[in-house]
Amino acid sequence: MSATPQYAIIDPETGKIDRHIFMDQAIYDEEMEQIFGRAWLMIGHESLVPRVNDFFHTYMGEDPVILTRDSQGQLHALLNMCRHRGNRVVRCDDGNARHFMCAYHGWTYANDGTQESVPGELEAYYNALDRCALGLIQARVETYAGIVFATWAPDAPSLEAYLGDARWYLDTVFNRRDCGMQALGPLKWLEPVNWKTVVDNCSDNYHVPTSHLSSMLVQHRYLGRPLITHEEQFQSPNKHLFVNGHALTFREVDDNTPRYVHGISRDTFQAFQEYYHTTLPEVERRLGTFRAHKIQLGNHSLFPNGVLGFRLALPRGPQRTEFWHFVLLERDAPEVIKHVIRTGSQAYNGAAGLFEQDDIDNWRQVTAASRSPIARQYAQELSMGVGHAGRHPDYPGLVSERYISENNQRHFYLRWQEFMNAKSWADIHLDPMTARFEGTATMQG
Amino acid sequence: MHTSAPTATVVVTPQQALWLELMQFYIREAWLLDERQFAAWLDLFTEDVLYFMPRRKNVPRRESHREVTPLGDLAVFEDDKRYLQMRVARLETGMAWAEDPPSRTRHLFGNLVVEPLDNGEVQAKTAFLVYRSHLETDQQLFAGSREDVLRQVNGAWKVAKRTILLDANVLLDKNLSIFF
Repeated sequence: MSATPQYAIIDPETGKIDRHIFMDQAIYDEEMEQIFGRAWLMIGHESLVPRVNDFFHTYMGEDPVILTRDSQGQLHALLNMCRHRGNRVVRCDDGNARHFMCAYHGWTYANDGTQESVPGELEAYYNALDRCALGLIQARVETYAGIVFATWAPDAPSLEAYLGDARWYLDTVFNRRDCGMQALGPLKWLEPVNWKTVVDNCSDNYHVPTSHLSSMLVQHRYLGRPLITHEEQFQSPNKHLFVNGHALTFREVDDNTPRYVHGISRDTFQAFQEYYHTTLPEVERRLGTFRAHKIQLGNHSLFPNGVLGFRLALPRGPQRTEFWHFVLLERDAPEVIKHVIRTGSQAYNGAAGLFEQDDIDNWRQVTAASRSPIARQYAQELSMGVGHAGRHPDYPGLVSERYISENNQRHFYLRWQEFMNAKSWADIHLDPMTARFEGTATMQG
Repeated sequence: MHTSAPTATVVVTPQQALWLELMQFYIREAWLLDERQFAAWLDLFTEDVLYFMPRRKNVPRRESHREVTPLGDLAVFEDDKRYLQMRVARLETGMAWAEDPPSRTRHLFGNLVVEPLDNGEVQAKTAFLVYRSHLETDQQLFAGSREDVLRQVNGAWKVAKRTILLDANVLLDKNLSIFF
């Protein structure tokens, strides 16, 4: 392999990005190794494999991976590739199995990845096969609040260090309750877009009043939800911040701020406020007073491809992304709350979601412009708020002065560049952790 | 040469009459969708309708009972009448970008099987091919089935529950901004 090219695709002072990163096959192939081959990737949720011997089929980038819970209850991320010829040993989306048998020649593996049997081991192989060295390839696995992450890199830092201070904010959605969360899904569909555009859009709240105007109008009319306008966004005290590649936005709230999630309407508004206030003492104990009362996580992405919480943008080529939409429900929430969040999740996001369906042609045309011979000579313009982000006394991370900013996007592409240029994890920086994690909540929930 | 048409009485059973009535219902539905008369299409559903498209998973043949996700799991569509009204109303704003400019669709409904239920409602199953063409060159063919429960409301059939099964695991279209 030739020396790693040195990428310089974004000018942080002007926010101009080279469009070739959205269309070039060679760059894409390198992303699969440099980014998806070494970052911590979200691959599933513990609730998708609740019992021993459960498995859930997932992906790390383009690599098919089986998330298993072995007979001892231990989680594994196994490359779905028979060590003989490379056939997949699992063809189902999920299930319960102690062994996986390759349908080609019958090589069989235990659900902890161990090689168990090879037909003809004594006769055809003359007992000369080092069978024990031919278990399924394993990735490192760690969890955060039930969400399962995996990495191929032996030199990657801990997941806790990788998430860093982003977890201080993530806890306000994913780590609120003692009961933990239940994942439902995924709904899978293919979008003709580059995966980075999908991730970049997660902290682009600027697009909401335009892209989603029709859906906001009807949710105002039919559900009694407030409208979001540009004027309100530009004055909003909400925040936009960046940690270790993770781009986050949050609402700065107080006890009088109405709480909303997708699906809440005028009919269920009161029930949801009651649920919120009833659980507040528990959340104070778990997250401390400040976070429990003041912070509500909004749109966000986890580097490289976690999109709005536990949802995935799986790369499938420079101009193709397989989207996986899940919904997470707090296990002890009243049934009426679970019902509105579940149905709201499909009505707002997902392939048929009122909001999400309007994003796709915007994203695809943004990435398709990088194929147009003249258009691709002109950089994308991400200059909003250059020079207007810094450290904040109350909030960890690199915090933009305004809620509407492209600071997170610039830093997402800078993080991309850092991974692409790094020879190993030693070349990838982690922001120092400064957040005070008050309360009892931990990485384990 | 002119001969007068023979007059013959065709006797249809009540079951066949119902089949003909519902086939006309579905043919009309297809034209309403393809001619973008969505307000009239919405009127084909009861106020308490459930418009449901579960996900379909790859599972072993002997676990086929797990192939279609049950109500209560995350669905592709799990709409009540209000969500359906929102989907239609937003098209009229002129700013529903997924459908503006609108898709060109062709809905073919067939293989109708009708089963009267004890409570006076009727279960009707159809197969469909739906073609969608959008913008310049985007196109998609959807195949699947629909199982409806229909009820008479003021002398007209209305769909009280629709379960749509798409013959797909990973959906190949960029979004599902059309109706089935």
